[in-house]
Amino acid sequence: MSILNYNGGCVVAMKGKNCVAIACDLRFGVQAQTISTDFKRVFELGPHLYIGLPGLATDTQTVLQRLQFRIKMYEMREGRRLKPHTLMAMMQNLLYERRFGPYFVEPVIAGLDPNTKEPYICALDLIGCACEPADFVVSGTCSESLYGMCETTWQEDMEPEDLFECISQSLVNAFDRDALSGWGAVVHIIEQDKVTTRTLKCRQD
Amino acid sequence: MAVEMAMEPDYMRDPRKHHFSPYMENGGTSIAIAGDDFVMIASDTRLTRGFNILSRNQEKVLRLTPHTMMASSGCWADVLTLSKVLQDRITMYSHEHNESMPTTAVAQMLSTMLYWRRFFPYYVANILAGLDEQGKGVVATGASVAQIQPLLDNQVAALNMKGATPPKMTKDLARQLIHDAFISAAERDINTGDGIIIHTITKEGKTEEMVKLRRD
Repeated sequence: MSILNYNGGCVVAMKGKNCVAIACDLRFGVQAQTISTDFKRVFELGPHLYIGLPGLATDTQTVLQRLQFRIKMYEMREGRRLKPHTLMAMMQNLLYERRFGPYFVEPVIAGLDPNTKEPYICALDLIGCACEPADFVVSGTCSESLYGMCETTWQEDMEPEDLFECISQSLVNAFDRDALSGWGAVVHIIEQDKVTTRTLKCRQD
Repeated sequence: MAVEMAMEPDYMRDPRKHHFSPYMENGGTSIAIAGDDFVMIASDTRLTRGFNILSRNQEKVLRLTPHTMMASSGCWADVLTLSKVLQDRITMYSHEHNESMPTTAVAQMLSTMLYWRRFFPYYVANILAGLDEQGKGVVATGASVAQIQPLLDNQVAALNMKGATPPKMTKDLARQLIHDAFISAAERDINTGDGIIIHTITKEGKTEEMVKLRRD
């Protein structure tokens, strides 16, 4: 039983036309037992910058706290907002520092560049290897199911409404086949001028 | 769990120990979709062993009777033996009863045959598909099941779509779903690829279609 499967949970992010979307489930459990159904694992780090931290829940919380500290120091010193690509570099460093005793999280970043408004997504493994694909990224206990759903339903240049439907259906149908994920979902659609957050209710098991 | 451990690849086992496993995982993914008056069953044509490809062109769907087919994957040795024994039993039935064995009877017999081997199982994942004028149901099994199953839940059973009812399953819709599901599975799963053969059974007879998949 892998430590990454101890608490359960999943995150997916997709690129659209001048927008990105990031979504997660809400289950927090200890192996088979569900403890809470409102455990969010996607966090806002800036007006158009979100990070998802699926994996071991204690590390989700710790990595978030350490990251928020680093981001505040960066923004204080630099006097400007963090770019998504820079956040990726920061995460790589944070995770690789613990190369031989890692944090058990596999982060997903989604955001818009503060200056160019270019959509950006990336995924990292637990020791900081990043990949920045052009379409979508997935992470969590049902990642295989998420790959199958996203691969079939994603298209290039989707408008925010279509992107919302696509990411929601991909996430919900994928985690419905996973015992360790589910119990509701939260979806953020990040556009140039606003961020829309919706909570999805689905089968509660 | 126990079977998975018996079949773990050699790079995961302790090299200082002797290990014999009677099983081997040879891959394979199948989908079957049923409609009101037809059934479509498709299987990929790749046979693997670990990271190697044994064959790009291995048919995995067996014709049991004029109106029943079975897709089998898993341990290829067990697939061959099971299908041989099954075919023989079906032939014996038709000699005794003077008619070909109905699909539901084949399913029941297959279930019994597999359970006879409860304590040394056939490592085979089967989908039986046939005509009995029976309607809806979708099944996926095999290597890429995690990728494909949620897609079928959403598109065939219309799960998680508000106010949607399951679509009337036509041959075109089934073929398109099977095609898309395999193309996506081949992208993300190393054990699926090379090609698929889609068999359709209707009252009139059977047809076959070969679709190429990526060979990497």
